[in-house]
Amino acid sequence: MSVTASTIKPAQRPLYGPAIVSGQPRLPVILWFVPIPDLHDMTSLLFAVGKSRDRAAFETLFLYFAPRVKAYLLRRGVAAMAAEDLAQEALLNVWNKAHLFDPKRGSAASWIFTVARNLHIDAVRRQKHPDFDPNDPALIPEQEPEADAGLQRMDDDERLRKALESLPPGERNILELSYFAEKPHSAIARELRLPLGTVKSRMRAAMRRIREGLLK
Amino acid sequence: MITHHPADSLLLKHAAGAAHEAVSLIVATHLALCPACRRVVKLAEHAGGILLENLTPEPLTTGAWEHLAARLDEAEAAAPSIVARSGGTPTIPEPLRSYLGADGLDKIRWNFVLPGLAFRPLLPGPFSAKLVRSKPGSSIGLHTHKGEEFSVVLAGGYSDCSGQYRRGDFHTATPDLLHRPVADQGEDCIVLAVTEAPLAFRNPPIGLIASLIGY
Repeated sequence: MSVTASTIKPAQRPLYGPAIVSGQPRLPVILWFVPIPDLHDMTSLLFAVGKSRDRAAFETLFLYFAPRVKAYLLRRGVAAMAAEDLAQEALLNVWNKAHLFDPKRGSAASWIFTVARNLHIDAVRRQKHPDFDPNDPALIPEQEPEADAGLQRMDDDERLRKALESLPPGERNILELSYFAEKPHSAIARELRLPLGTVKSRMRAAMRRIREGLLK
Repeated sequence: MITHHPADSLLLKHAAGAAHEAVSLIVATHLALCPACRRVVKLAEHAGGILLENLTPEPLTTGAWEHLAARLDEAEAAAPSIVARSGGTPTIPEPLRSYLGADGLDKIRWNFVLPGLAFRPLLPGPFSAKLVRSKPGSSIGLHTHKGEEFSVVLAGGYSDCSGQYRRGDFHTATPDLLHRPVADQGEDCIVLAVTEAPLAFRNPPIGLIASLIGY
């Protein structure tokens, strides 16, 4: 049985089209008739892959995310051939671990980002990315149960996108480099000819704006 | 109640995959005990997802999907590992527990430093991680730092000029901090410490002992 979007929360509305570069005007209305996969679709598709090993759903995920994961690895300094292989490996990990994906905890994009990040650390840096285990009995749980976490998350997604788009270019640049540059902040500072303190304070400012937009 | 947290920039580094393994280990150990910081990390990972989507896609070679599709059956999802639990809640949360080996906290072989003070190395440098156990009232003595030092309290607590630290609290010591942490009264204080560089002790004999035993 294939699990479709209708078995989990229905989409409120399409959240965004294809990868929109920040600051670019919204796509013309006509383009919205093209079946563009939106965030909610992607999250439903990943859920379907985890639930019922839905190959068709996985193919759509692959075609959308594999080229982006490859771009991510290239940005982190992986050579082109290796980036292609690692992107395939990352998507194979997505297929194999999809049953662990919980749509209440995040979007498909953020989950696939963590899979690609961990694979890069493991395969290129030969280190681990230690992380907490949500099922650990020693974990201190949230005080209040997250009511309607799914809807909340959709709302957060839109606000987070806006918060990222409205970052001043200097802060956004530093934030992106934190995610994509395979170098410490001191090297980033040298490259941008900025004092290390400025790099660090821009990063703090970017995080503060993101937090303020969301954690009110 | 946790009152000391990692800086946002450190949470961001962890989420972005830009932190050293030992630094991620100590941040994640704090995360297991701190729901508030987990929300910030979730947010930063969510931002990572949005940035990933906004990257200009890099075309894959022809036949990439067919190539992967042929491999989908070869590796079936691994069954989630079942961890044997010896009743009760473990003191040490994941991911740190896995770094201690199968025996856990009770059977750790501690290296003696000074009376009342022992440590157990976990990861070698450049950012090295170790567990430190202090008997109530004991102290490593007055010291400063040659680089950043992060600590998370796992049991008991300690105090210094900057405040009191209890289970789950995250302490960032910068090179300009001169302090003498003293273990609180009550139970043994157990701390995970991650240091960028060796400590600089004000008491030369202690400094000598520390450098000899690799503390």
